[in-house]
Amino acid sequence: MLKNLHKLLLSLSAPFLLGCDSFLDEKPDQKLVIPSTLTDLQALLNETDLMNHQVPNAGEISADNYYLTDADWAALPREQDRHLYVWAGENVFPPQVNDWNYNFMPVYVANTVLEQLASLPRTPANSLDWDDVKGQALYYRGHHFLQGALLWAPAYDARTASADLGIPLRLGTDFNVPSVRASVQQTYDRIVADLREAAALLPTKRLHPTRPYRVSAHALLARTFLAMGDYRQAALYADSCLQRQSALLDYNTLDLSAAYPVPQYNPEVITEHFAFGVNPALQESLARIDPALYASYAPEDLRRAVFFRPNGDGSFAFRGSYGGGAPFAGTATDELYLIRAEAHARLGNVPEAMQDLNTLLVTRWRAGTFVPLTAAGPEEALAHILRERRKELVLRNLRWMDLKRLNREGANITLSRTVQGRVYTLPPNDPRYALPLPDDVVALSGMPQNPR
Amino acid sequence: MKHFLLFLCLLLWALPGRAQHRVTGRVESAATHSPLPGASLLLKGTQTGTMTEADGSFSFPSVPDKAVLVVQFLGYASQEIPLSLPLTQPLVISLEEDATALREVVVSTGYQTLPQERATGSFSQVSAERLQEQVGPDVLSRLESVANGLTVDRGTDARGRLMVRGLSTIMGPRTPLIVVDNFPYEGDPASLNPNDVESVTLLKDAAAASIWGTRAGNGVLVITTKKGRFQQPLRVEFNSNVTVQDEPNLWYAPQMASGDFIDVEQLLYARGYYNSTLNNVTRPAVSPAVEILHARARGTLSPEAAEAQLAALRQVDVRDEFSRHLYRRGLSQQYSLGFRGGSAVNAWRLGLGYDHSLSQLEATSGRLTLHAQNTLRPAKNLELSTALYFAQGRSTGGKPGYGEVSMLNGQLYPYARLADDEGNALPVVKDYRQSFKETAGDGRLLDWNYYPLEDWRHSRSRGETQEVRADAGLLYRLPWGLEADVKYQYQRQQSASEQHHDAQSYLARNLVNLYTQIDPATGTLTYKVPRGGILDRSQGLTEAHSVRGQLNFQRTWGEHELVAIAGGEIRAARTTGHSARLYGYDPATLSFGQVDHTLPYPMITSGRTSFIPPNTGLQGLASRFVSLFGNAAYTYRGRYTLSASARRDASNLFGVKANDRWNPLWSAGLSWNLAREPFYGWALLPSLRLRATYGFSGNVDQGRTAVATITYRPNLSPFTGGPMAYFANYANPKLGWERTGMLNLGLDFGFRGDRVSGSVEYYRKKGKDLFGWKQLDYTAGIGSSVVTNAAAMVGQGLDLELNTLTLKAGAFAWRTHLNASFYRDEVTEYYLGDQQGSNFISTTPGVSGVEGRPVYSLFSYRWAGLDPATGDPRGYAPDGTPGKDYAALMGAGVLVDDLRFHGSAVPTAFGSLGNTLSYGPFSLTARISYKLGYFFRRSSIHYSDLYRLGAMHRDYADRWQQPGDEARTDVPSLSYPANANRDRFYAGSEALVERGDHVRLQYVTASYAFPRAKGKKMPFQHLETYLTLQHLGLLWRANDRGLDPDYHLGRYNLPPARTYSLGLRASF
Repeated sequence: MLKNLHKLLLSLSAPFLLGCDSFLDEKPDQKLVIPSTLTDLQALLNETDLMNHQVPNAGEISADNYYLTDADWAALPREQDRHLYVWAGENVFPPQVNDWNYNFMPVYVANTVLEQLASLPRTPANSLDWDDVKGQALYYRGHHFLQGALLWAPAYDARTASADLGIPLRLGTDFNVPSVRASVQQTYDRIVADLREAAALLPTKRLHPTRPYRVSAHALLARTFLAMGDYRQAALYADSCLQRQSALLDYNTLDLSAAYPVPQYNPEVITEHFAFGVNPALQESLARIDPALYASYAPEDLRRAVFFRPNGDGSFAFRGSYGGGAPFAGTATDELYLIRAEAHARLGNVPEAMQDLNTLLVTRWRAGTFVPLTAAGPEEALAHILRERRKELVLRNLRWMDLKRLNREGANITLSRTVQGRVYTLPPNDPRYALPLPDDVVALSGMPQNPR
Repeated sequence: MKHFLLFLCLLLWALPGRAQHRVTGRVESAATHSPLPGASLLLKGTQTGTMTEADGSFSFPSVPDKAVLVVQFLGYASQEIPLSLPLTQPLVISLEEDATALREVVVSTGYQTLPQERATGSFSQVSAERLQEQVGPDVLSRLESVANGLTVDRGTDARGRLMVRGLSTIMGPRTPLIVVDNFPYEGDPASLNPNDVESVTLLKDAAAASIWGTRAGNGVLVITTKKGRFQQPLRVEFNSNVTVQDEPNLWYAPQMASGDFIDVEQLLYARGYYNSTLNNVTRPAVSPAVEILHARARGTLSPEAAEAQLAALRQVDVRDEFSRHLYRRGLSQQYSLGFRGGSAVNAWRLGLGYDHSLSQLEATSGRLTLHAQNTLRPAKNLELSTALYFAQGRSTGGKPGYGEVSMLNGQLYPYARLADDEGNALPVVKDYRQSFKETAGDGRLLDWNYYPLEDWRHSRSRGETQEVRADAGLLYRLPWGLEADVKYQYQRQQSASEQHHDAQSYLARNLVNLYTQIDPATGTLTYKVPRGGILDRSQGLTEAHSVRGQLNFQRTWGEHELVAIAGGEIRAARTTGHSARLYGYDPATLSFGQVDHTLPYPMITSGRTSFIPPNTGLQGLASRFVSLFGNAAYTYRGRYTLSASARRDASNLFGVKANDRWNPLWSAGLSWNLAREPFYGWALLPSLRLRATYGFSGNVDQGRTAVATITYRPNLSPFTGGPMAYFANYANPKLGWERTGMLNLGLDFGFRGDRVSGSVEYYRKKGKDLFGWKQLDYTAGIGSSVVTNAAAMVGQGLDLELNTLTLKAGAFAWRTHLNASFYRDEVTEYYLGDQQGSNFISTTPGVSGVEGRPVYSLFSYRWAGLDPATGDPRGYAPDGTPGKDYAALMGAGVLVDDLRFHGSAVPTAFGSLGNTLSYGPFSLTARISYKLGYFFRRSSIHYSDLYRLGAMHRDYADRWQQPGDEARTDVPSLSYPANANRDRFYAGSEALVERGDHVRLQYVTASYAFPRAKGKKMPFQHLETYLTLQHLGLLWRANDRGLDPDYHLGRYNLPPARTYSLGLRASF
């Protein structure tokens, strides 16, 4: 008996003696993993709703594609929502849950992936996937840095960019590292560096419209250089995109009886992103299309019927989403034709510019009705292109960027809104074009607020 | 032991002097005359003692003249027998059973059973008798009103959370550890049959609890089930009762009057608030009144007809509808039958129980329990014990209750009608606009209405749980006072539930309609969700193995006694589960349809695309636990005890370095049995003992990971087809342990004749590095707060437990039982620099972190009354000027020192008082409980939420409406547009803080025990009938608003309805 007991006790204490660690290494939840393999990192990047569908929309809310009725403005749930609409310049973001927060979440994921890749050897066997994962992480980081710069920094101006306040460029995952605002120059340098490296690593074939590929990075570079006013680079990158993906959707083929006539994942879509925010001002039931914008479409221009739905009271709602009804904020070939056209026009290459514009427009007009536009010189070409850009990229989360950069180029656009009898204006190049940082972020981080 | 006794006897032989006599005899039960093995006998004033053998016999080889024999046996009243020597015949000592003796003598820690008189730690025991004063299917809910030092916190969690001596951690699991028969209980405590419970011991201080390691941070409840005893004839116990529960009082809910609500809707409609909702392409539901107003505005309804319809709606209160058509009285029955017996070699018990209840909403639940236990002594030094516990539960869902029928966002308009005058079910607006539902698909869709009175019949849930627990134990007595003790436990819980939404259910019809595709050219309908029912099923299985090996040592030599245990324990538990949904399910043919989850389809409401939800998931959890433990208690002369314990735990915390897995804990204690000192001669107070312990425990947060961890989602990405994962924990390597040291001083006393007995305990805890939320610059991308070590605190308290025989006159007796606890704590150090006032005001209290203030403090914005001109709430700026710049009043300029401090947010005094009056066979017990010295923040009207969500509050009726109203009310005027800051300021203001103090009548129970007529042979030993009333409501409250401070969180939080139980207890 005693002998058996001895054996039993020995077997009981075996785990203690033989090291509990293997016993304790069992995972508490099979779904839990310390991200380390390429599969894990790709799984993090596969969170499409976080990585692709969380583009901040405060810029589009501040822009002039739409207006709110007084009643709908008053019905906005938060005072910050109402402030943003009238360019209050302060207290426009509710604490904690806001565009700033949404914009930096994907950056953390990208940084996690990049940090883990540093300790994951790239081998001949895994090189394709390794490059792909790294390219995606850089693409997403660059994309969200760009979104941040477009909202919270002033328009890029090479003369002042080194002194202007940019955004904090968080390049690691340690949350104890304080946030510091980089200059606008440093911000755009980082965006360009991330996207260029991404372009070199991403595959040339696309798996799905939600997965970035090489063209996606080139498209964002084209957009970035356009925002910076570097038209040569913009033309170059737009051209590389259109070399690989150039299809346009013939609007004559669309079913106008559908709620959203433009199909999701249509051939123009390069990479799908959706805009997202807590402010509901852009909901279809609230945002009414600017009457002057609506009136600018010719009767034969199919976009008038494809993009807009009458509200029944003389006003119109937008239904031209490239995302099955969701607010599309990704890249598509139509934008790239317009970028290349604009860049050519600005560089003085009028025929190339007009060719791109007409290639696009012919698919937008009722078949057989489109008469190609002509321009006598670069100014006229640019005027055509900018007018058509305005009409093509409605509520695509691009107008705020355009207002900033066009005013920098001297377009002299003054925005004006009337709410309950009071007129609010936003003059060109007003400091409020750089939206204020959320107050709690300023209080917690000590970063300087944007000047007013 | 025996060797040692022999040695003792030899020693005694050697003593010279007086005459010595041999004494032999037998100890038996007075009631059954069966022998009592293991009873202890001691010659008073000496160290000479012995124990009875299996047949109850004993012998002393040598006893001096004029000796007094002290006989003790667990559960029996002790006797002192003066011996007249020499004896003419062997002694026969008959002991009377004594329930109180049983309660006071031993305590169980789950690792060992200790005589309370040698325990240094804080143990408080609740006996089966006291638990039986209440009726109900589970054990834990009965403890709230009877256990010392325990309270249920309903101020920070509406469901109620057991709390022992205040909260000791903020972030970790906060419920006390529940131990059933030596092992931590992983299952649902509701599956334990209270009739199988012998006692519950509460381990309150660090010394008592440290044996359980880290999991004991919140106190430990040790539940001991009934066992058979050796040498006991068959005994049968029967208990049965029937309980009726009243309908709940729905009028306690702060719902707005229907007329008021319609007034608000009219105002909002006139201001265009609903325009966006009415134009919304996703067709969100709007209430009937808004539809009426909209129809009138568009001219499809005449103003007169609209007015008449609204007037009719104003008369309806949905609570009448719920009360009339849905709620009934609840009914539950409980039956239990127990058998126990024992011979010289074995002791056994068998318990059977059956419970059934039909709730106020016709949900049913049934439970069958079986508990079999056997202890075998096949050899003199060997004891084998086995136990099997089996419970089977079945439940079915019932009707929807108040708060469970919603239009949108969980809210329902207060004038909803559920049935017409003939009692036919009426539809309630749900999810989408009624006008849309009626016209969508040109009438070719399925009926899209939701009928709350009918729908529950078509969406019934059924659940089944099975639990098996098997214990095996082996105890081998080695020489030299050593025992080897090995215990093994296997637990298995299996649960299965299904919810069948048949083809008529709203859920199924809604999904089918939502994804119906209509071809614009041909008008053909295709169904992306197949027509028919939907079946949701889930299954779970948990299996746990625990093994404990332990060496016990107990040895007495001379005036010294040493009791020690040491051992190790390993535990592994695994849970697996899955849930799945079948679309187009037909129970008659067991067929189901196919659904494509990989493509987004346009929904018929808006045309926007979305994926059909798969509702499928898998689960695989594992917990691994290793510990090493030991404790020792040394007693000198039966008066002084010194104890110490230590333990190290490790578990499979994920993402933590191996060294961080091990958590060391220790404690030490002293006790002094003053009454045993030779100089102590106070006959009035024959029992007096002092105790002191100190122990140290730590707590590690699950989020303390050195690296970030991620969780895989059950479904692959519908976009790319690859797996998806999200962050479970962000790397937080700087987070340290939470550490608490606790000092406990206790005094146990008993006056002569047990007129007054009890204990007083003082404790002081010092917590360092307590966890709290720190606001984070969310530029980091991981959210806006992070767990951090936030504060240090000291807490102190007093627990008093008193049993008195207040009055005794003939057959009449009045007994009183009092539990009184006092608790106070304060923050001594605060590590975060944050002093902004608004960060200290929240709906549920967190660590407030103001030095010198309670850990859970209630602060509020200072209140300057309503603006006499507008009815706007006003506060005081730091310089004392009244104002209503809410952003400034709640901004960085207002520091915590500028706020009004009210006091603690958790009770600083709580306890219960029970009085039992008995007269012969009649007995009446009433128990009140109280919570005092704390504050709570009541809810009130929140205009933003009212507009946005339809969240109502009856305070609306008292709002400021015209100048002068500010004198009678603090409820702000209605304001539009909504100003969330104005609402937030009011919600956090002084005006809404109330004293939480209250006294509650917990239960009243009356019983009658049928007397055993002398001489007549009755078929029972004991027969008793009882009537118990529970949930009797408040006797007193400090607030004058009719609020029950335990039931104020949430709009649908109602106090439990009164119950009436009638029962019968018998033993044979």
